[in-house]
Amino acid sequence: MAHLLPLLVLATTLGSSATSLAQSVGGPLMPLPVLPQVAAERVELGRKLFFDPRLSSNNDLSCASCHQLDHGGADRLPHSLGVDGKPLPVNTPSVFNAALNFRQFWDGRAQTLEQQAHLVVQSPTEMGSDWTTVVQRIAADPQYRSSFAQAYSDGVSEHSIQNALATFQRTLLTPGSRFDRYLQGNTEILTTEEKYGYQRFQEYGCIACHQGVNIGGNMFQKFGVLGDYFKDRGNPTEADLGRYNVTGEEDDRHVFKVPSLRNVAVTAPYFHDGSAATLEAAVDVMFRYQLGRTPSAEDKALIVQFLKTLTGEWEGKPL
Amino acid sequence: MKLTHRRGLLLLGVSAALLASVLVYLYFMSKADETQNYAQARDLVRQIKQYNSQWENEILKARITISHNYDPLVSPLVEMTRLWQAFETAEALHGQSDTPAWRTAHADYRDALAQKSRLVEQFKSHNAVLRNSLAFLPTAEDGIQAQLGQLADADKLRLHNIATDTYDLMLSSLEFAQMTTDDKAADILVGLNKLAINKDRLPIEFHAPIDILSNHIALILREQPRVNQLLEQIEAVPVAVRLDDITLMLDRDERAVALVDQQYHFYLLVFSTLLVLLLIYMAIRLMRSFSEINRVNRALLSANDELEQRVEERTRQLKDTQSELLDTARQAGMAEIATNVLHNVGNVLNSVNISADLVTRKLRTSKALGLGKAMQLINEHPDDLGRFLSEDAKGKMLPGYLNQLVEAISLEQKEMADELTQLSKSVDHIKDIVATQQSYAGASTLLEPLEVSTLLEDALRMNAGALTRHHVTVLKEYDEVPRIMGDKHRLLLILINLISNAKYAMSDVCNHARNMTLGVKRLDDDTLQISVTDEGEGIAPENITRIFAHGFTTRKEGHGFGLHSCALAAVEMNGHLLAYSDGPGKGARFVLQIPLIIAEGESCPSPATGASC
Repeated sequence: MAHLLPLLVLATTLGSSATSLAQSVGGPLMPLPVLPQVAAERVELGRKLFFDPRLSSNNDLSCASCHQLDHGGADRLPHSLGVDGKPLPVNTPSVFNAALNFRQFWDGRAQTLEQQAHLVVQSPTEMGSDWTTVVQRIAADPQYRSSFAQAYSDGVSEHSIQNALATFQRTLLTPGSRFDRYLQGNTEILTTEEKYGYQRFQEYGCIACHQGVNIGGNMFQKFGVLGDYFKDRGNPTEADLGRYNVTGEEDDRHVFKVPSLRNVAVTAPYFHDGSAATLEAAVDVMFRYQLGRTPSAEDKALIVQFLKTLTGEWEGKPL
Repeated sequence: MKLTHRRGLLLLGVSAALLASVLVYLYFMSKADETQNYAQARDLVRQIKQYNSQWENEILKARITISHNYDPLVSPLVEMTRLWQAFETAEALHGQSDTPAWRTAHADYRDALAQKSRLVEQFKSHNAVLRNSLAFLPTAEDGIQAQLGQLADADKLRLHNIATDTYDLMLSSLEFAQMTTDDKAADILVGLNKLAINKDRLPIEFHAPIDILSNHIALILREQPRVNQLLEQIEAVPVAVRLDDITLMLDRDERAVALVDQQYHFYLLVFSTLLVLLLIYMAIRLMRSFSEINRVNRALLSANDELEQRVEERTRQLKDTQSELLDTARQAGMAEIATNVLHNVGNVLNSVNISADLVTRKLRTSKALGLGKAMQLINEHPDDLGRFLSEDAKGKMLPGYLNQLVEAISLEQKEMADELTQLSKSVDHIKDIVATQQSYAGASTLLEPLEVSTLLEDALRMNAGALTRHHVTVLKEYDEVPRIMGDKHRLLLILINLISNAKYAMSDVCNHARNMTLGVKRLDDDTLQISVTDEGEGIAPENITRIFAHGFTTRKEGHGFGLHSCALAAVEMNGHLLAYSDGPGKGARFVLQIPLIIAEGESCPSPATGASC
């Protein structure tokens, strides 16, 4: 019995070291989870609604107008055009993996995807519609009516439309990025440069905010921790106030949701104001205002290379 | 009676339904799944609390880890929100949380949670940058030190001082991260000032790294107290306390509900006891009823037995009586037969008597005596017979006399021969009666072709003497009736009796003519009706039903046999005999109806024969 104890301890140690090893590969980053089990008919409804311009007041804009699924879930514009044809105050974030963000919108004013859909439809600058109209329009379509009756006990309603949209968006995950495969144990899939890039990403502290399963999207952060970004940029707008617009607290001035870095290479331009047209420019801004450090050009290039490994696949195709 | 019975049933049904519904009500009021609801609610609260602790745990971990995954700081809140929604749904479902106290408790929890999540968000932001800067400090310091070491042509002592200052500043900053005091903060401020002064003394390439270091140290100086403060605030947010409050309230509510439950349990117990008592009472009643029924049954049984005994006894007595009666009846039967025979024979004998009387009288007054006288006259004149016959006055008349005598005697003979034929007919009838009587047991019916009118005449003739004596006029109403097949003897028997009865019935009549009407009528294709109507004493209504009974008679010398045997004979011929009378003194009418069986070779009814008496 006595000689068994050290063996046990050894086994435990080995086990724990194995765990820590596994953690050390990913560190604070996690691969995307498997797709959630959701009702297929609701997903289908959500997909239809996502592409349905009847959600906007002038039957012009659908969700997919700005969140183009073949363009990284966004529209490549610094500011998308709203229902009134005028540019919106902030850059359109990608709809891909949005379900994994802890809040929705740059200022995190929506707790859930349902709330997000609700606010977008009602926003006078975005969809410019109201729910009574939307429900009427959708309910007027007999195909929608029968599908909704099958999928929801309350048929076509504000709640069911929002839920269908949200359910569809929960399926918009982009697994299979090279970095995820690396995290899953395929260490050969990244080049040495990319691995160095990941190492720099951690060393410089990018990872302090861009971590978790969505590599960001799980906390708020002040834009301009170590420098006044807005003063340097000029032309301050109301949207620049960020979360302050939601809470009204001084502490929240210029605070934004940290965006996810997944698919970052295909979702330019960057930042809430769409001011950075390239990854390099965005990394520069981050170093300057968030990290307060000046990296070498080599490190910066490595980090950009690393960021490009974060592009995942949707419907089996790379974004 | 039936109405009361139905009402009783209704009452029973209503009371049974009432008792059952009370039982069900009490059962549902005392059911124990409330406890389960509370257990479920408590479990939800416990899980929320668990996630809350997990959350706090993750916060503390985030505080010391350099590079941290902040997802675990998000997911507990998600779980808590989900569980809280489940809790509120369950509460709403069970109609709790409707009191102001509950609403306050819920609001308090929600406030605390909102406050805490807000603080956690801030903590995440501040902690991330703080941890980043703290992690960067050694690197930044190392960079400066290395750069200082490469500075060859400088004042060694000054460089050493600068290096020490920088190092001290870094250490102070790191210490500050562990022990955030105002002294340390002051130290850092002094160090930062020294670094600023030192920067000016160093070449330009030092300015950027030193600025970066200063910035980060300034950030630490700014953020560390903020993070600490946030942690304290997070710790101070009474989420767990609020949850405990809710648990307490749940406990209190559950106790209250349990109390009510117990109450209803008690009521249920009381009610069940009452029901059991009622059942016992009813069982006793039932048992009593049973014993009562049994007793009555036994009494009935014994009464039955007794009755049976009595019936048996009576039956025995009756049997005895019956055998006695049988004996008597046998004797009486023999007597009856004798009476019958004698009666009928007597009736016919009447006729025989009359016929014999007539013949005797005829013989006695026979004209043949005149022949003797004539012969005497002839004998007195044996010698002069010729002269006597031609000269003597008497002798001259003698041949004429003799001629007349011959005529008279032949008439007389003819009459007597007729009478003797009648006599022999009567004797034949007597013979028939006796023969019939002898074969009575067989009750055989001899059907022969009959002329109904002849039959009636025969019957009249048999009664002729009596009818004449009683001055009865016979009226005949005969329809045309064909020859029928009938039992001559029975028909004669009936007719003789009926005629005889009619004659008797009119024996006391003196105020009007004694008319008797004989009628023959064909009722329909199958029935022949013969009626005898008199205008005599009539029949009292009370007697009309008894008139055919054996032994019934209204006559002093009568033996009550005639009509009875007539009725029997009628029935034996498949017919029936009926009596009608309007009452005493109003005459009577007897009707014999027999089946009309037309004799072979007869198609048309024979003409009615008229006769007078």
